[in-house]
Amino acid sequence: MTGVIGCGVVLASFVLSIMVFLQVKDGHSQVVDYFNFINVGDLKISFAFQLDQLSSLFLLIITGVGFLIHVYSISYMQEENPGQFGRYFSFLNLFIFSMLLLVMGANYVIMFIGWEGVGLCSYLLIGYWFKNNEFNKAANKAFIMNRIGDLAFLIALFWLIAKIGTVSYSEVFSATNLARLKSSDITIITLLLFTGAAGKSAQIPLYTWLPDAMAGPTPVSALIHAATMVTAGIYMIARSNALYSLSQISMNVVAITGLATAILAATIALKQNDIKKVLAYSTVSQLGYMFLALGVGAYSAGVFHVMTHAFFKALLFLAAGSVIHAMGGEQDIRKMGGLSKKIKITYITFLIGCIAIAGIPPFSGFFSKDAILLAVFEHNKILYVIALLGALLTAFYMFRLLFIVFTGAFRGTDEQKDHTHESPGAMTIPMIILAILSVLGGLVGIPEVFMHGGDKLTAFLAPVIPLQAGEIVSHNTELILMAISSLLVIGVVVFAWFLFRKTRFSESKGLGKVLENKWYVDELYEKIFVKPLNKLGAFFNSVFERSVIDDLVNGVGRLVNYGSRQLRLLQSGQVGSYVLLMVVSMVLIFILQFFIRK
Amino acid sequence: MNALLLSAVLGVVMMFSGIWLKSKSAIRNVAIVGMALLLVVNILEMSGMIFFRIDTKGMIVFDRFALLFDSIAFLSTLLYLFLSAQDIEKVGINYADYFALIFFILCGITLTSSFKSLLILFLGVEIISIPLYILTGSDKRNLKSNEASLKYFLLGSFSTGLMLMGIALIYGDKGSFDTNSINLITETPSALIVAGMLLLLFSMAFKVSAAPFHFWAPDVYDGAPTVFTSFMATIVKAAVFIAFIRLFEEAFGNLQNKWQLLMAIITVATLFIGNITAVFQQSVKRMLAYSSIAQAGFMMLSVYAMNAEAKEGLLLYSAAYSFATIGIFAVLIKMKDYTFDGFNGFAKHQPLLAATTTIFLLSLAGIPLTAGFLAKFYMLKAALGTGKYLWLVIFAVIMAAVSVYYYFRVIQAMYFKEGDPPVLQITPVFKWTLVILAALVILLGIFPNLLLTWYYF
Repeated sequence: MTGVIGCGVVLASFVLSIMVFLQVKDGHSQVVDYFNFINVGDLKISFAFQLDQLSSLFLLIITGVGFLIHVYSISYMQEENPGQFGRYFSFLNLFIFSMLLLVMGANYVIMFIGWEGVGLCSYLLIGYWFKNNEFNKAANKAFIMNRIGDLAFLIALFWLIAKIGTVSYSEVFSATNLARLKSSDITIITLLLFTGAAGKSAQIPLYTWLPDAMAGPTPVSALIHAATMVTAGIYMIARSNALYSLSQISMNVVAITGLATAILAATIALKQNDIKKVLAYSTVSQLGYMFLALGVGAYSAGVFHVMTHAFFKALLFLAAGSVIHAMGGEQDIRKMGGLSKKIKITYITFLIGCIAIAGIPPFSGFFSKDAILLAVFEHNKILYVIALLGALLTAFYMFRLLFIVFTGAFRGTDEQKDHTHESPGAMTIPMIILAILSVLGGLVGIPEVFMHGGDKLTAFLAPVIPLQAGEIVSHNTELILMAISSLLVIGVVVFAWFLFRKTRFSESKGLGKVLENKWYVDELYEKIFVKPLNKLGAFFNSVFERSVIDDLVNGVGRLVNYGSRQLRLLQSGQVGSYVLLMVVSMVLIFILQFFIRK
Repeated sequence: MNALLLSAVLGVVMMFSGIWLKSKSAIRNVAIVGMALLLVVNILEMSGMIFFRIDTKGMIVFDRFALLFDSIAFLSTLLYLFLSAQDIEKVGINYADYFALIFFILCGITLTSSFKSLLILFLGVEIISIPLYILTGSDKRNLKSNEASLKYFLLGSFSTGLMLMGIALIYGDKGSFDTNSINLITETPSALIVAGMLLLLFSMAFKVSAAPFHFWAPDVYDGAPTVFTSFMATIVKAAVFIAFIRLFEEAFGNLQNKWQLLMAIITVATLFIGNITAVFQQSVKRMLAYSSIAQAGFMMLSVYAMNAEAKEGLLLYSAAYSFATIGIFAVLIKMKDYTFDGFNGFAKHQPLLAATTTIFLLSLAGIPLTAGFLAKFYMLKAALGTGKYLWLVIFAVIMAAVSVYYYFRVIQAMYFKEGDPPVLQITPVFKWTLVILAALVILLGIFPNLLLTWYYF
């Protein structure tokens, strides 16, 4: 019953989202103003929703993928007791609510409310199994990392309010207000917004929470930490494209950070042995690609990749969940192997996901990644080469994962071997649907070179994201680039096949060990930030808190108490003394009135 | 005019009902029905239905300010009777007379809230005071009650003397008791007028228990039977404040620069003594006595500021303060042990009572979302509106912070300490009235306009 309600409301939202989408498609974008939310002085912030091309697309992704994952969850979470099951679904629904608020808001404040809401749900769901202390730590880490970004976001909001006195999109992006902003202001605001986005979307330097966030149940990882919430940063920047386009510095920062994250995460993913961790780093890496796209001005390519990524990454996570389910909770790929025969559907869907993410035509990932790579090529050739390298790394680690898990000999215990079985329909059907979407999803954005007017998505988004008039690469070059990247990817896949068909695990050395330990970034953060801050906190606690603040507060309290004890003595209970005191004060007042102030 | 006559009549009716009616509950019901009737006719007068028209030669004017305050006072008294009528009967054997005295006090309140002549003011204040002397001493076998009554009477007579002397001095200069003619501007007011004004100021300050004329209050409030402390510390005190602000607005409004500093000094002294002394008290009843002085200090801010917000704020304040304090006293009456320790573990045994008491205490402390917060806010805003004496506002805020200490001590005892409070006899009416009071406190804290629209339309 809980599950039916939990899924039903999301399904209803999905149906409504389709209706909204159809309306918007006919050109009926609108801003629905409900009431005045904040009204202080000249600042008016209304509680308003904006339904346009960008938000309606996100609505579809969130509710559609969200619905599938809800259905999957019913079966995946079956072993939880009913109360916990209800808690799980209430968090999940609250997440969908917040996420919808985030994308539907017609101003930054509503977006911020949703932004905080999804952060909260993420925290709650990462720490869903709250009895495990490690999971709680992961939840805290995610929350704190996000708070750093949120602070920057908030400062950006205040900055906007201070400079132009409004936060609503239509007003901020109007030509008059943009003209009122100095270019330094725009740079600062966009950089602050990007810091917020980096927190939510796990970019350098705030990315370390996302891999740890895998502590949550797998469907949560699929929905929140792969398909939807982590793309909020992309949404925010795509929404603010009018601001970003005015600041070359910010654009460069976004592009370089995105690319660096993409490469860094991809290298780490090469050596991870936890099935979910590999996918987590892959998510970080793909998010980096999206930021790269935004940074070179190809906003619609970024949004396109959000969409296809939502399909194939959700699929990969759900399939990974199915594998974990089959293995009785085992997540270490060194103990798997040869699963392709036992769980066929999972295997095939996972394979489709891998092909899609690797960017092999004509699967969806190919189109979106190609759009990004092409835009990067137009922008800067060096970035293009690095981005292409990243794409090859992606193909490599994904197929490494596929081969280790599904081919070769089974390496688990005998008990697991007998236990292994395919997941029930409630889990496999969402996977199959997502697999179909992963195959076909790219067809909304077929490049111009294959089909005239094939890039429907960019055309659809054009009212929100103006087309960039840049240098256009000739069709021949484009075809060559595609061929190179596709062939290289296929080559890498074959290479991976030979490398991991029969796996032997040995202790890593040198660079491998560094990668396995994630470049020691966590340790570095621990040394640079956490420990000094803890020490500072301990210092303030022992010196300021104990001796300065406490003494001050307690001193005031003691003083009041002392005064009270003394004043009490005035109340002697003797009528005579009362009258005396009254008469004395009357005389004093008379003197004051008649002699002191004339 | 409706309420003035009806309250006097009801007082007489109650005296007779004591002779004719034998059962306690019948007398109680007559009192409650009479009270409800009083409220209704007063509200009818507010909406234009005046039953009696008597020419008072302009000595009494029932304007909106007066009528609205009367309604607040009657509503508070009605709720007070619902909560505590049974406890009134326990004080002594002449219970019908207690109700009669309460009605006479209400009669005095209608006079003090609507006077236009100093004579009527005097009359009203005395009609309030004399029944109070009796009520204070109504627990005849209790020595403390007798002592309190006598003290109250002695000191009260003293202040009555001051008031009469002040009125006489003013009459000597102006040849009139009419407030409007007293207020006519003279270039430099004569010493007679100023001295008369000061004497009136002292006597009014005495009646509202403002420092340094507050000495009677803790002893009397502590000594009187708790049911009557509840009545006189709330409704009566608010009524005298209405008279206070009315007197100084209508009779001495043009002399504001002569008395504003004095008001500020009295306000500071009252806030200081009330709040600081309350901190050290061990008995909740005595703490509430000092708290009522502290609250009077806040209400003094409205007399000091004397602008539109001050009058609105005073109405809101009297409602907020009366509702909350009546509620706390009603619970306190039920307790055997009046010390803070008596409340230990109260929340576990009486969750509903503890919760409502907490709301009342939060309101008195001025925590947002309660009526007390907005009432204090209005007072501070009014004081800021004068543009003078910023230190007064800062001081008031600090003192409000001090007040949190002693109010929260009760909450702390109820919720965080282990203890074994006695089993209380609670009727459903009592419970529901408390819930209504708590709801009113919160409602006014969110929509103060529910009350204040009545002032304007």
